[in-house]
Amino acid sequence: MICLHHVCKRFAQGDEAIEALKDVSLEIAQGECVVLRGASGSGKSTLLSLIAGLAQPSSGEIRVLDREISKLPEHLSALFRRAHIGFIFQKFHLIPGLNVEENVIAPLIPANLPLHVLHEKARIKMEALHIDSKAKRDVKRLSGGEQQRVAIARALINDPVLILADEPTANLDAKLSAELIEHLYMLKQSGVTLLIATHDPLFFDLDFVDRIVELKNGRIV
Amino acid sequence: MSLTPEIIALLLLDAVFLLFGGIAFVLSAGIAWRWRSNETTELQYALHRRSYLVSVIINYIFMLKIPLFAFFIYTCDKLSAIITGAMCASGVVNSVDFGLYLTLFKIVNLYVFGFWLLLNDADMNDEKLPFTRLKFILFILFFIPLCVEIGLEIGFFTSLNVSKIVSCCGTLFSASSTSSISLLFSVDEKIWMMIFYGCFALSVAAYASRSPLASVVSNLLLALFALIALILFFSPYVYELPTHHCPFCLLQKEYFYVGYLLYALLFSGTFYAAAGGVLDLVQKRYTKRFYRLSLFFNTVYVIGISLYPLSYYLRNGVWL
Amino acid sequence: MLANINVLLLDYALGSLKRQGGKSIFIFLVLCLLIFLLASVLMIADAIKFELNTTLKTLPQITLQRFVAGRQTNVSVERVDTILALNGVERAIPRVWGYYYFKPAGVNFSIVGIDAYEEPYKKRLSELTRTFDLSTLEKEGGMIVGEGVQNVLRENYYSDFFNFITPKGERYPLKIAGVFHSDIALESNDLMLVPKQAAYTIFGMPPEEATDIVVHVSNPVEIPTIVQKITERYPDLRAITQDDLRISYQNIFDYKSGFFLSLFIVCVFAFFIVIYDKASGLSSEERREIGILKALGWRMSDIVHAKFYESFVMALSAFLTGFCAALFFVYVLQAPLLRSVFIGYSELKPPFRLPFSVDVKMIVLLFFLSVPVYIAATLIPSWKAASLDADEVMR
Ligand SMILES: Nc1ncnc2c1ncn2[C@@H]1O[C@H](COP(=O)(O)OP(=O)(O)O)[C@@H](O)[C@H]1O
Ligand SMILES: [Mg+2]
Repeated sequence: MICLHHVCKRFAQGDEAIEALKDVSLEIAQGECVVLRGASGSGKSTLLSLIAGLAQPSSGEIRVLDREISKLPEHLSALFRRAHIGFIFQKFHLIPGLNVEENVIAPLIPANLPLHVLHEKARIKMEALHIDSKAKRDVKRLSGGEQQRVAIARALINDPVLILADEPTANLDAKLSAELIEHLYMLKQSGVTLLIATHDPLFFDLDFVDRIVELKNGRIV
Repeated sequence: MSLTPEIIALLLLDAVFLLFGGIAFVLSAGIAWRWRSNETTELQYALHRRSYLVSVIINYIFMLKIPLFAFFIYTCDKLSAIITGAMCASGVVNSVDFGLYLTLFKIVNLYVFGFWLLLNDADMNDEKLPFTRLKFILFILFFIPLCVEIGLEIGFFTSLNVSKIVSCCGTLFSASSTSSISLLFSVDEKIWMMIFYGCFALSVAAYASRSPLASVVSNLLLALFALIALILFFSPYVYELPTHHCPFCLLQKEYFYVGYLLYALLFSGTFYAAAGGVLDLVQKRYTKRFYRLSLFFNTVYVIGISLYPLSYYLRNGVWL
Repeated sequence: MLANINVLLLDYALGSLKRQGGKSIFIFLVLCLLIFLLASVLMIADAIKFELNTTLKTLPQITLQRFVAGRQTNVSVERVDTILALNGVERAIPRVWGYYYFKPAGVNFSIVGIDAYEEPYKKRLSELTRTFDLSTLEKEGGMIVGEGVQNVLRENYYSDFFNFITPKGERYPLKIAGVFHSDIALESNDLMLVPKQAAYTIFGMPPEEATDIVVHVSNPVEIPTIVQKITERYPDLRAITQDDLRISYQNIFDYKSGFFLSLFIVCVFAFFIVIYDKASGLSSEERREIGILKALGWRMSDIVHAKFYESFVMALSAFLTGFCAALFFVYVLQAPLLRSVFIGYSELKPPFRLPFSVDVKMIVLLFFLSVPVYIAATLIPSWKAASLDADEVMR
């Protein structure tokens, strides 16, 4: 499913180079749920963006679903994300000014699908997450829990096989965190591969987590 | 020089094209020089983004050039009211020595830029980006005819003399004309007509044989001979005047602007097969969509243009 | 790029225009103003050209004026017979006409002398005077004026007659015997038809002279040859043909609107830079939004596409608004301020309404002068926005 092979990522900062990832090799199987643990600045987000094709490794090779995403040109890696990957960001990153439904379908807007197909997809996801009654409401006027569910519905709109979550509980209280974990559990049940980057101890002793990978200063330990 | 608003609009857009074409040219040179298709360095990603900018610019220029070409002809048509002796756009176009070349350059550039965009599409759809270097080298080459066209257009409008007396299309497109067109008149127009239908038959045969090369050749021939046959054989039937052979008067209101439709059909039909065929030759494959579109447009054109002599014959019982 | 319209993307683009709020409104207003100015100038120029062309059609085929020391002077009536003798000349008529400055209203009237026994030198005049009996006009000392002239006179308390002042300083009253109506505003607003006799007195001209001679030719194709013959016989006569006038008016107007357009292009250039600058400056929310969308699977081309929809909608709506505003300004309000720039003589001539003359050609022209330029200015900023790093949202 995901296969990283001696991946390094360097950022040039002025004259010196920061090595965010150092010789990372990792394999994740289909349907696995992996937690990526590490302190802030250890390179978790960098690793996720490399896997999603948002950035390219300085060296090494990354294969996702047997495609070498690290070598794809930008527009094709975007299509790849649209087709196979769902994203849950820290602080949800909903788009203010758009309503719930528009936020949910946002990943598929450029796909130019027939309108009824898209609305049907959105309806199913919103119903599953109990936000269908708020479909036309601006996301700014939602509670934290609702916003979180919109973010999950958005991540699922393209029926992804891989979900990447970057510190999904970072700004949540205990109740919402528990709710989120519940959702993640359901996703895991449905056979989706999950990769969760976090330093929240909540994730470290969950039954459905298959593996915990620890990152420290850009290295797997 | 007469600065009518139409001319100023055309010149203003020429300036915009020159500016953006220039930017695209500089970027292209950089990309063509430094592109390494098997490397994945930061530089290559930056170049890829720039290459996208170039394609945006060329798309913009091409999308504007199509309506502007019609607008150019229309402006010439309008100027013919001011210039003594001119009855339609052809008199105005020919009032300057290189007017006809300007028109030809405009047509050629449309083909060339359309081809570039098809090539760009093919390149972007392949994850290896196999034609990136090729397409930018090509753009560097294609920039030259674009500049020539813009230069000619500026020259054309500055040397356009309102008080000069020009010849009308009746003399320009006739056997007595001094230009090379008169040579065509020395051959019987029925022969041109038959060559035209022959070329069309060839292009249909090329479609049936699924050969890109045959399609390219037959469609280029078709474009050429369709124009000649239009001037020599078909136009008198459109005007219902045996001696009127002008390819520009078709664009006038009296003939319901039918020329705009006919030329659009002919150019798109031959474009798809010729440009798509070249692309297929480069990629060594066969893209049915191009040839089907081409066949469709060409057939509509041939039917449309054939209706004129036929209906004339049915109504009058004689050929012109 | 334009092959098929993505409704949702268009919807998204409209929404993001709305969300940019102030910036969108600012650009919209500036763009509207530019298009409005441009459209007004072109419409006024076209309307005046139209009015003049209509007037020109009523002018004689050839007008002969005598020049002495580079100035126009009166021509001797004797020459008429010589000209009539030329082959191809159908009619040659001496005219007496000129301007009369009416101080209280500050306007110039055109006074044209007419003669009951002479065929009028142009069809229009005979149409205008058909309903009036010219011989009684002469006997009773009356004149015929246009509707507009009647109004001006009435405002100055001349309701049934008018006192001309001759060059000798004497009063010369003429009765307003009739009023004519004309569709040509310039005609109705400043024309006074007086008996020839009266015209000589008002201008203080000797009776064996005329202001100029108009010539009618049976075959218009012969005009150049006849002009040549006349000027060979009388080198001090200058011939003006209808065609000369038409071309020179056309040139003057193309030149004037060309001048405005050149100014406009300077504005366009400034505008281009403003738009470029505005479109380049992305707020942190916009940057974040683009980052999110790219992470969610939008390509650069999708973002450029959305931006293209934004600028196209913006340009098109500003174009329509500016154009309609110009229609209203020029044809309903009669273009206050702007028209005086165009009509050099507007101070001297009584006002006239601008005739409606808008065609598809002008709409297409305005479109090409505005929309593509605006879109061009947003091309590079859109690309810059689209090539923002997407992994920024991960930080
Ligand atoms: N675009 C960038 N430019 C420079 N340095 C960066 C960039 N992105 C990340 N880094 C650096 O890389 C290291 C890892 O960052 P990150 O992956 O965001 O850590 P985490 O998500 O685990 O907190 C940090 O030291 C950070 O400063
Ligand atoms: Mg992080």
